Amino acid sequence: MVIAQILVNGIISGLAYALFALGFGLAYNTTRIFNFAHGAVYTLAAYSFYTSYVTCGWHILPAAVLSLGIAAAAGIAMDEIVYRPLIERNASLLIPLLSSLGLYTVIVNVIAAIYGNENKTLSPGLQPAYTFGPIILTRIQITIAVVFVFLFSTLLLLLKRTNLGKVIRAMRDDPELLSAMGVSQHRVRLIAFGIGSGFSAFAAILLGLDVGIDPNIGMAALLSGAVAVIIGGVGVFEGAALGALTLGILQSLITWRFSSRWTEAIAFVVLIVFLVFRPEGIAGQRRRVDEIAP
Amino acid sequence: MNYLFHILIIICIYSILALSLNLLVGYTGLLSLCQAAFYGIGAYASVLLMTAAGLSFPLAVLLAMVTTAIISLAISVPSLRLKGDYFVLASLGFQMISFAVLRNWVTVTNGPYGISGIPRPSLLGFEIDGLGSYFIFSGVIALVCALLIYLLTASPFGRVLKAIREDEIATMALGKSTFRFKITAFAIAAAFAAVAGSLFAGYMRFIDPTSFTLTESTFVLTIIIVGGAGNVAGPLLGTVLLIAFPEALRFLPMPDAVAGNVRQIIYGALIVLMLRYRPRGLWGEYEFE
Repeated sequence: MVIAQILVNGIISGLAYALFALGFGLAYNTTRIFNFAHGAVYTLAAYSFYTSYVTCGWHILPAAVLSLGIAAAAGIAMDEIVYRPLIERNASLLIPLLSSLGLYTVIVNVIAAIYGNENKTLSPGLQPAYTFGPIILTRIQITIAVVFVFLFSTLLLLLKRTNLGKVIRAMRDDPELLSAMGVSQHRVRLIAFGIGSGFSAFAAILLGLDVGIDPNIGMAALLSGAVAVIIGGVGVFEGAALGALTLGILQSLITWRFSSRWTEAIAFVVLIVFLVFRPEGIAGQRRRVDEIAP
Repeated sequence: MNYLFHILIIICIYSILALSLNLLVGYTGLLSLCQAAFYGIGAYASVLLMTAAGLSFPLAVLLAMVTTAIISLAISVPSLRLKGDYFVLASLGFQMISFAVLRNWVTVTNGPYGISGIPRPSLLGFEIDGLGSYFIFSGVIALVCALLIYLLTASPFGRVLKAIREDEIATMALGKSTFRFKITAFAIAAAFAAVAGSLFAGYMRFIDPTSFTLTESTFVLTIIIVGGAGNVAGPLLGTVLLIAFPEALRFLPMPDAVAGNVRQIIYGALIVLMLRYRPRGLWGEYEFE
């Protein structure tokens, strides 16, 4: 019955990746900017939560709300200050990608200079755990699952049932046409970055409570998020969750059968295999390669 | 004086790295994030060839270049058909995989503990000892590399690379197999990175995987963005500026760890500012557009 526990652990960490990946995917699919700085937003959210919750001793809820707000504001500010001028001079999308790598470096190193490089714990002591038949779940694992279900359904409702969702999907499909309809691309980009960054704050807080934080968690989150979006299916917002679940289960099985040292490398092998043989991902429609990558 | 020689040696090593990456970024228009992987593979290959196989330095470097070029095919053949950010992602993936292999393949690389006691390079029976002679040695090698890369880019081969950068489909229409040209450029860039890696290993006499991370790949890219891409002068200027300038930080009163962060902050801000206000770099020929 070890396998049941292994699978459940994999699913839960997959759900936590999915929170980040959904936000990253929302921003990536809408803006087509591969935004490394999304990882920096994750680190920023984790440390702002650490400051208010641990250092200042706030209650967990206002601390989480503050961290969410800071993340969303950072996501919006990035686009407004850094990416917008690049896009408005019609630079190729690789230029914001490069810029975002610089932005990531700046933000994460500012945080590291202030807080230091060592790991910090957000919740002292052992997590309370609950037994369900052969499976043991900690309280934070259950919270991750609940928050995921809530946010995933909210996101789906937003995308499928509201006007805003329609505009976001329209931008994903054809940004030029959206402008022709009189909707400002810039505003949709800001919204996508704002919501996407908010999702990464949820992921940062929950995973931070589970395993602690250090300045490099953002890059790890970004990389697994990007892998999840690609293997789930670019252009399909829900695909990110599917990709993240696949990744979480895969990593959990690898850790069990081989060693946790190889999990990251194997994630990237999977990524490259997908990029080469199925660039549209698990859930994506088959399209011509030059349609997918701009 | 020793301190000055140290900086000059590092400049020599990084100018080779920057020139090699420039072949891809500046000439062929391929944004690659895995140059530090080839730098590391080259360093480990030459060290292992010297210590385990007992080869002399020149022979070890040549074989390391060949090995690294062959390994580069493992990533270039599948990923060079990809476009735009997909290629960048694939190269990033290769960077992460290489780092994991260097760190986890303990029987060969000694894992996170690294390899120490690397012998000084010797040429024709003379051991290159002392900072001064190592500087001259690496300076000569860097000059030879720069010359070779210059000749390559001025050749018909180099013109095809530039044509690919400007318009790949038009180049195909002229009957060039752009895929083959890109793979060759990738292998050559990897081989030159291996030279830089070998020089680095011979100089530090100790290597471990942390010298060959994504941060390092990004740093080499920063050199090109700041100095300029698509010619020889840009990357050289970038190397000198980015290595010499942050040394001034050493004289400010702050702890070492924070100084490292401040240096990274400067590099990151330079990427953002250069791409925004001067996309062709200080002395470049090719504009990041």
